Amino acid sequence: MADKAVTIRTRKFMTNRLLARKQFVIDVLHPGRANVSKAELKEKLARMYDVNDPNSIFVFKFRTHFGGGKSTGFGLIYDSVESAKKYEPKYRLIRNGLATKVEKSRKQLKERKNRAKKIRGIKKVKAAEAGKKK
Amino acid sequence: MEKKDNNGIIPDVKIRKEVPQLIAVLKEMKEGLDTVTSKVQALTAKVKAKQYPTADGVSYLEAKHLLLINYCQSLVYYLLRKAKGLSIEGHPVVRSLVETRIFLEKIRPIDKKCGYRIERLLTAASTDAVKVDTTENIADATQKSEDLLKYRPNPDMLDNDGIYRPPKIAPVTMEEGKKSKQERDALRKEKDTLRRVRQSEYVKSLVDDLEGRPEEVKDMIGAESRDFTKYVANWEKREQQEEELFTRAPITKAEKRKIRQLTKSNGLQGLTDDFYDEIRALPLGDEVDEKKTSGFSSASTIERRHKKRKEKVENGYYVIQSGKISGKRCIPVK
Repeated sequence: MADKAVTIRTRKFMTNRLLARKQFVIDVLHPGRANVSKAELKEKLARMYDVNDPNSIFVFKFRTHFGGGKSTGFGLIYDSVESAKKYEPKYRLIRNGLATKVEKSRKQLKERKNRAKKIRGIKKVKAAEAGKKK
Repeated sequence: MEKKDNNGIIPDVKIRKEVPQLIAVLKEMKEGLDTVTSKVQALTAKVKAKQYPTADGVSYLEAKHLLLINYCQSLVYYLLRKAKGLSIEGHPVVRSLVETRIFLEKIRPIDKKCGYRIERLLTAASTDAVKVDTTENIADATQKSEDLLKYRPNPDMLDNDGIYRPPKIAPVTMEEGKKSKQERDALRKEKDTLRRVRQSEYVKSLVDDLEGRPEEVKDMIGAESRDFTKYVANWEKREQQEEELFTRAPITKAEKRKIRQLTKSNGLQGLTDDFYDEIRALPLGDEVDEKKTSGFSSASTIERRHKKRKEKVENGYYVIQSGKISGKRCIPVK
């Protein structure tokens, strides 16, 4: 919706050399709109901070204030996608499309755990190996 | 001492300047040493006469004397060697000097603590004209005397009328810095007005302006209840902490319930436009205003407040909410 203006302000800007990133608090003002999508925010931040690759921008933990119109969240801009892959938690990489979720059947995992509860010690390892070989 | 050239030759001018000083210093030293030797000779004679047995160990003062004498000895030897031009590099006298110095500095705090007692002992010894042996231990010196300023609690000091007067050991200071009632009241008032002003809309807009924040227009019908403002203040503080730490604290179920309760519309209550609520934040010098906002109300002041309200009934009418008379006063517009 181009008619409603969206303003982004960043606060508490800090360059975190240890984790090769810039981190800050984002204030989004969106009067008349419900919420601003993360993709749009990343686009705007890429323009603001002259980032080559918008894949290295991560925004998260957004919360809308009372009455709407304003939301606050956190943002990170990594120096490169490699450092992002190294330091970011899995779920955020999946959100950005840099990693894929391993679909593990929850039921199977639980059954396996319950089976392993009955065996103790080195036999557990042997049972696991036998299971894998099958 | 004198600065030596690279060749080791001392310049003549310097020698001529410093020689008289050196002579004076050496003279002083000789006099000091003479007095010390005489005293030491007297003491050694006494020791030989078996007057100072060290079978029970050495007291603190004795140890200090010995250390000081040792230090002086080492110092004199050190100066001798320097005067003769011999090197002191690696000589054990330097080490012993340093060790003794360290010991002396370590026992200095004990000195400070015992200082008062030692002085008391000395004055007691001189005024009472009782010959107290200076090498006696301090514990032995608690003799029964008429001196009221004795330095330990003594149950024998109970007077005839059964009043115990404790010994005056350390001076007692009167409490300074105690604020009078007026000062305390003034401080409290100041704090109160500061808090109220900080909450006012005008100051908030000023602060926003200063920080360069964009103008925010909140569309709220009617003034906010006190509950709500308190909750919002807590929320703000929480947000600040979260931003500091770059994380979010999870919202509990109770908090979610409270938020839903507060943001729900409260019926028609918000539609009553209240003048009093608008001027509540302003620091006016109104007596009634102050009474309402001060939190220090006892039963008597509450009663007085009720009586005052009944008197002022001709100025306006009261808003009745759910059977109770609320504090809001509506003044009819003329």
